[in-house]
Amino acid sequence: MKTKSILLALCGLAISFNSCSDDDDNDPVIENEEEVITNVNFTLTADGADPVTFTWVDADGEGPAEAVAVGGTLKANTTYSAKLELSNVQNGETEDVTEEIEEEDEEHQLFYSTNISGLSVTYTDKDGEGNPIGLETELKTGAAGKGTITIFLRHEPNKSAEGVAEGNIANAGGVNELDATFDVDVVE
Amino acid sequence: MQLLTLMLLNKLKLIALLFIVVPIIGFSQNCTLTLTGHISDVGTGEPIPYTNVFVSETKKGTVSDSFGHFKLTNLCPGDYHITLSHIGCESKKIFVKIEEKDVDLKLKLTHSVHDLNNVVLSSFSGPKTTQHVETINERFISDNAGKNLANITESIVGVSTIKTGNSIGKPIINGLFGNRISIINNGIPQSGQQWGIDHSPEIDPLVANKISVIKGTAGLEYLGAPLGATILVEPEKIEKEPHLHGKTNYFFESNGLSNGINLQLHQYPSSIGWKVNGTYRRSGDMSTPSYNLINSGVQEANLALQLEKEFSKKLKTDFYFSTYNTTLGIISASQIGSALNLKEIDERGKPFITGSGSFDIEPPKQKVNHHLAKFHSKYSIDFSQWVAVDFAGQLNQRKEFDRRRGGRSNRPSLSLDQYTMYIGGTYFKRFSSGLNLKSGIQYNFIDNANQAGTGVLPLIPDYTSHQTGVFTTLTKSYKKSIFEFGARYDHTNQHVATITRDLPIRVERFDNSFHNISTSAGWNFAINPHLSISYNLGYATRNPAINELYSSGLHQGVAALEFGDPNLKNEKALKTTLGITGDIKEKFSFEAHGYFQKFENYIFLNPRGEIRRIARGAFLVFNYEQANAQIAGLDLLGTYQVTPSLQIRATASLIDAKNITEDNTLIYTPTNTFTGSVTYEYPKAIPFIGSKKLENWKITIKNEYVSESTTDDEEYIFFENNERKSFAIAPPEAYNFLSLQSSTDIQFNKTRLRITGGVTNILNTSYRDYLDRQRYFVIAQGINATLGIRLNF
Repeated sequence: MKTKSILLALCGLAISFNSCSDDDDNDPVIENEEEVITNVNFTLTADGADPVTFTWVDADGEGPAEAVAVGGTLKANTTYSAKLELSNVQNGETEDVTEEIEEEDEEHQLFYSTNISGLSVTYTDKDGEGNPIGLETELKTGAAGKGTITIFLRHEPNKSAEGVAEGNIANAGGVNELDATFDVDVVE
Repeated sequence: MQLLTLMLLNKLKLIALLFIVVPIIGFSQNCTLTLTGHISDVGTGEPIPYTNVFVSETKKGTVSDSFGHFKLTNLCPGDYHITLSHIGCESKKIFVKIEEKDVDLKLKLTHSVHDLNNVVLSSFSGPKTTQHVETINERFISDNAGKNLANITESIVGVSTIKTGNSIGKPIINGLFGNRISIINNGIPQSGQQWGIDHSPEIDPLVANKISVIKGTAGLEYLGAPLGATILVEPEKIEKEPHLHGKTNYFFESNGLSNGINLQLHQYPSSIGWKVNGTYRRSGDMSTPSYNLINSGVQEANLALQLEKEFSKKLKTDFYFSTYNTTLGIISASQIGSALNLKEIDERGKPFITGSGSFDIEPPKQKVNHHLAKFHSKYSIDFSQWVAVDFAGQLNQRKEFDRRRGGRSNRPSLSLDQYTMYIGGTYFKRFSSGLNLKSGIQYNFIDNANQAGTGVLPLIPDYTSHQTGVFTTLTKSYKKSIFEFGARYDHTNQHVATITRDLPIRVERFDNSFHNISTSAGWNFAINPHLSISYNLGYATRNPAINELYSSGLHQGVAALEFGDPNLKNEKALKTTLGITGDIKEKFSFEAHGYFQKFENYIFLNPRGEIRRIARGAFLVFNYEQANAQIAGLDLLGTYQVTPSLQIRATASLIDAKNITEDNTLIYTPTNTFTGSVTYEYPKAIPFIGSKKLENWKITIKNEYVSESTTDDEEYIFFENNERKSFAIAPPEAYNFLSLQSSTDIQFNKTRLRITGGVTNILNTSYRDYLDRQRYFVIAQGINATLGIRLNF
């Protein structure tokens, strides 16, 4: 008798769980991807040369569409002051990633790598501990040539490791947050 | 008021009466009673001579004669606790109530011939089956306190662990893991979030007491995945013991300065039996031979409550509640941004982040809570029939934290709640012809919901699932044979709401309906008491799991983007096993278990997909795909009892797992493993302080050889100046792992103390294990000394 009543109670519970299980008709919350970088602008200005802006856009973040990188033409034997701006645009809302990096400057560093001979990038900004960040740099071109410039953003690199403060990424470690390559043409 | 006074008065009268009566009983005590007993082996039934028998209350003892008989005289009526201990046997404590007449007991001990390095073959102690079942007993679990479920089951031949460092591991049994293994926790399918190899089953082995592994397609009576092995995790039955007893276990590990304590209390007064079991454990950063594993600490607090009530001889009900709460550090060095980071670490050979260890657990970390409440009732209709009902609810909360920009590290990047409701009914009947029938119906409901506020699109979508299953198993003993047949049918409905990754981001819904059929037939033939053969043939299907269908997103730990395929079909498998167990004159015992499993539409994560370049860099796209596959293997175990105190043991686990469609080795296949160990047990008790003696002193030295994986090198792609380049990571080299373990017992008046100690990775070998997902970043844990102190009271 007792078993019967227990069984009945269980059946009742089963039915009630079954009926309340359709609450998944509500759409799930679509999160704004907050960690992603979707837009990069690398602006170069110099006396006696036209200002240039390299752009990199990956609107769907980690989605299937490839990023579109647009490089540009630089003047040979010129010293540019360069500024890097990063942002995250999601559903029309813009989040300033540059600002986030500035706020956590000791935990971030940008690295510039190139295969164009004579081209060099030096840091002109400093974090709270006197180490470079790399949002502001000086870019010097040499002779004319063609190639690429790649910009890396590292989160939590070891800034005191050998060569890191000079812009050498090899000993930096940390997590890659940006890896953007631009085609660059240096002309006379 | 008057009534109250009257009641009080009555009570006083009663107390007065007791004072008068009790001494009378005391004086009239008849202290001439005799307790006799016979001790035999649980497996063979052979008598066990020279067993120490100790009575806590009288502080007197005796030894059983050469026929296993013992006799205790001049006992007064009363309650007695008797401890039986014998070389090579697990000591056993029993409770006896002696009333006005002599008592004769039939007692059984588990003898070492069948106690293969503490892993008891349950074919000797449990119900006979044609399946290959191995059980890990309570003592082994307690002696290895501090290890997780996967690392404990690893002691069974043919079981390995796929792990993420030392604290996260899941068992691989005969080449299968994850969705193909069902874990039955106290009769209920464990409903965790087993989405990836970095998700550990949420079970505390110390709370569980007993773990069995059924290697065949045996779990037919359990809702879950009968395609692979089944792990049964059970708490011990509450002893029929009217006094409060329990045990406490302190355990320490030098590597990581891990400390833990477990306390178990139980009592079975006349009406309700109860048991409480709690564990707290904390470990700091572990270390390798060359550096510390920063952020590899663990914190864990678990509690279980068991209640049992016998309403009548026929109706028994029990209630079980357990809560499992853990925070697991993921080593900082394993968080990488892209394949380029992986290349840098691989070339460097050691992680960027090392330093001095601490107890802090920072992101990346996992915080997991699992709560289970279960109600079970069994009604015996008559001596040959019973019905049982189970009702259970589970809540699993998983939060994963990453190192994030902009102060978001304290916000989980994955936050999932999973609710599960389970209802099951079972009917059993034993026919006079020797046929046993077991049949049942089960229903399981899962609601999996992502919690808002992570700032990351979810890896696993929100979904609900309804699963209904029915089964029947038949067992018949005929002469020296046992025949088994079983069939099961399951229907699963999944309602899924995914979020697309291409723009515009939108919700896409899927409704799936799957049918699964499993059957199994087996034959066990005992040629003679020393040799038996078992054969089993099974066919099972499994529907794709939610992660295989819809996972979508970045798996940072392996620099991969993982994508499910909504068009996956059911996986089908035919498995046949052949087992031989036996012994020669009880000196040499052996066990062989061969298996062959053929898969159609085997679902696997294919790492050889295309490349996707995202902001962080280049990533391999891992796609869930299907192929035909086959797994063949052989598990061998042999022990040789050189003398009653010296035992040699050897095991081999051989496996060959192939993707037939692509003609290569399946990824994450365990490698061939061989172990050899020597155990010496001192035949006599060693005099210790005063009259105390060290009993059952035992020492084991064990070496494990893990061979190199035959899988292809893993190729990773990165871009340098817009040029596609690649590098390869080869599977790690073979290694040897040497360990030592020792234990002894000390009997006090009413308590028994057990001390265990050991050292693992004695040679402090630097190695990487193929099945460890952190091998890309760091070498494995170095030398580790362990100490355990256990008090039974």
